[in-house]
Amino acid sequence: MTQAAPMTLARPAPAASGWFAQAGAIALLAGVGLLILPPLLYLASSAIQAGTLGTLSIGSLAGLALTTLALAALATVWAMLLALPLAWLVVRTDLPFRNVCRWLAVVPLAIPSYIGAMAYIALLGPVGSLNAWLAALTGSHQQWMNIYGFWGGVFVLGLFTYPYIFLLASAALEATNPSVEETARSLGEGPLGVLRRVTLPMLRPSIMAGGLLVFLYALSDFGSLSLLRVHVFTTAIYHQLNTRFDQAAAAMLSFVLVLLTLAVLVGQHALLSRRSYVTITGTARVARPVPLGRWRWPAVLLAGGILGLSVFVPLGVLIAQTGTAGQFLDVLGEQWSFIKNSLALAGAAATLAMIVGFLIAFSAKRATGNTGAALLGTIQMGYAIPGTVLGLSLILLYNTYLPWLYGTAGVLVLAYLIRFLTQSVQGIDAALAGINPHLEEAARSLAASPGAVLRRVLAPLVRPTLFAVWTLVFISAMKELDATLLLRPAGFDTLPVRVYIHTVEAEYGKAGALALLLIAFTALPWLVVTRLRDKKLV
Amino acid sequence: MTATALLLSLSGALYPLPAEAAPDRLVIYSGRKEKALKPVVDAFTKQTGIPVDLKVGKTAGLANEIRMEKARPRGDLYISTESGIVEILTKDGLLEPHQSAATKAVADDFKSAAGTWTGISGRARIILYNKNLVPEKDVPRSIFALTDPKWKGQLAIAGTRERTTLAWATALVASKGEAFTRDYLKGLHANGLKILADNTEVWQGVGRGEFAIGLTNSPNYYLSRQNNLPVGVIYPDQDASGWGTPVNPNVAAVIKGAPNPEAARKFIDFVLSPDGQRILVTQDYEIPLVDNADAGAVLPLKSIKRPAVSAERLAELEEATLKLLTSLDPNW
Repeated sequence: MTQAAPMTLARPAPAASGWFAQAGAIALLAGVGLLILPPLLYLASSAIQAGTLGTLSIGSLAGLALTTLALAALATVWAMLLALPLAWLVVRTDLPFRNVCRWLAVVPLAIPSYIGAMAYIALLGPVGSLNAWLAALTGSHQQWMNIYGFWGGVFVLGLFTYPYIFLLASAALEATNPSVEETARSLGEGPLGVLRRVTLPMLRPSIMAGGLLVFLYALSDFGSLSLLRVHVFTTAIYHQLNTRFDQAAAAMLSFVLVLLTLAVLVGQHALLSRRSYVTITGTARVARPVPLGRWRWPAVLLAGGILGLSVFVPLGVLIAQTGTAGQFLDVLGEQWSFIKNSLALAGAAATLAMIVGFLIAFSAKRATGNTGAALLGTIQMGYAIPGTVLGLSLILLYNTYLPWLYGTAGVLVLAYLIRFLTQSVQGIDAALAGINPHLEEAARSLAASPGAVLRRVLAPLVRPTLFAVWTLVFISAMKELDATLLLRPAGFDTLPVRVYIHTVEAEYGKAGALALLLIAFTALPWLVVTRLRDKKLV
Repeated sequence: MTATALLLSLSGALYPLPAEAAPDRLVIYSGRKEKALKPVVDAFTKQTGIPVDLKVGKTAGLANEIRMEKARPRGDLYISTESGIVEILTKDGLLEPHQSAATKAVADDFKSAAGTWTGISGRARIILYNKNLVPEKDVPRSIFALTDPKWKGQLAIAGTRERTTLAWATALVASKGEAFTRDYLKGLHANGLKILADNTEVWQGVGRGEFAIGLTNSPNYYLSRQNNLPVGVIYPDQDASGWGTPVNPNVAAVIKGAPNPEAARKFIDFVLSPDGQRILVTQDYEIPLVDNADAGAVLPLKSIKRPAVSAERLAELEEATLKLLTSLDPNW
């Protein structure tokens, strides 16, 4: 058995061929900069030119910032409470049905939060099913439940984003060496002590990366918050753009939102850089499952409750909305070309994001000075631009400078990369953080070329993470609505656009059927990947 | 990385990227519902042989897009759900005039003085009420009756992101003055008026009994009935001395510098033809704006009393009205 222990190491000094990685990092930085900085610079320049907040005062801006940050923070905490117990149960214990649970736990990500919000409004709205049912039961017309507002926003956002944390945390749980925990237990730590003092600290980079994704998602979400009548930055930006028809004020608000996001990123960076943990062993050994004993069924109940709220309830509402199987098949036939559009776009974006993300995370780790941090920071900023604003600025930039690209589906792939590249980079970066640089140096000393080290040492070690981030970006791209609405070529609709159109036009049967198709096709690659993993093929 | 290569080639095989729009295609940016427009588009293609690419979105979102594409316009025809926004685009020099025999048949207050846009169908502002919550004898006949305390907590309207709400409030300012409008709206707020995201929320909220009364557009009454909701409709203030109720046009405009302006002109003329009007208005219970057109199931234009406010006047006052509204409640 390989011996291993948690070790605290300083960041490694670059190897002799560091200039190679450094040059690569700088080239990547330039490419990523050209992709992400122009819309940000455009935003900044329009905000500065505008110099006004439109109908907003400084006071209401501060209020808006406070609400937005509080909502995002609470949604993140709620998502962690959902994700971490579930991740530990399915990876480390003998939980019954844990493979099914593990697959289902990612399905909420395939449910766009605006569709989840619609489902919960139908259920828990002031005139939703639950109130109607309780009124019928008790005979009083009291309003028992009202999902609208701030807490509804927190509830829905956490419920449909916790898989970000679950995915990264469970992948990291698998990749961390269980012998560390076993050693701790053999030294007399109780199960809770192991969890608190060994497991959680080792998972910290992954939890932080996942939590950051949830937090940033909550900051930039428009659809579900607008449906739930919560007033945050994105809804205010939408209001300025689409009611006041004021692009300048919208740019100003977006700019403040981007600055807020930057502050969050800087804070996260400071938190993460304090400590680091590496595993010396090269192979991630599969842990012996912890027997749950008499906690078996309470654990099943907990997992079932989480999955019930986040998967079965919304799917049930959508199925009830859809009507007969015949109608469902009609929609499938009628809208097949849009399904194809979505799959091709999301597939291309996810594959590019995975490759580019791996290269970036790898170079950033090995680059000297601040190049690596600049690279990661730039990519994270892309996620901070609200979709609508990104869409509008890309229209101007690409229609002016790359007119041959604008008006094709290629511009959508680039927009998805700008928005979602960070998901790939963050995930891979967190996984690389757990790999000891000495492993790589050992391979290099055996005369392996840098390419071979990348391919034969690092890639296999982060492979579970590579599949996880491919799935993450695929899922995000499948769901993307705000930028797609603006940037899609005329006649080239995607599934979310179709769901949006049929919802706005109050054709709920069609919208429900399409939402189910969207969820099914979004979840499909995850099913394939987990099946392959179960058969030890990836 | 063979898996990667596989995935890439799979995405490529699924869908070859589309070529840039050919000049013989008509590209329509429509803020109007796809359901309402698609049948007209199909009939147009059948008659003229011109294929159409449709991009459906929010009226103001598409107007923003037209602004951003100014240097190299991609759309040919813009369809808006309200006239104020095309007046703004006209001022920005983004629209191309189109006047023809067909546009002459449209009443003057439903088209631009400069010829840059033409109304193609209309929607009246109505009072929608829930029949289970409002007994027949209590149904309000005037919007000004809604400040009565008996409606406290039972009223809903869409915020100004529905441009028709803004047009309605602006029409009030135009004909009754700002002071009167402010007092009236204050009265509605004192009555707990709920401002919702869009008209769909209004008609569904009223239909499901969350609100007793909603201020919305005439097609939503028919839509609610289609969904078997227990609602009734009042065209308010129709008596001899009443204010009337505004009718907002859906409008079509040719985009300046469009790749295919001729097809756009042909489309406008087609929509205004008897065939085009019949198809358009029956899809979504809209009101035809051409004199001799068949209104079908809906109340025809000549039976609706409306305040006399020109589209230019409306566009002038919109910004001030918006300031007034948001000063009363930021949710507008």
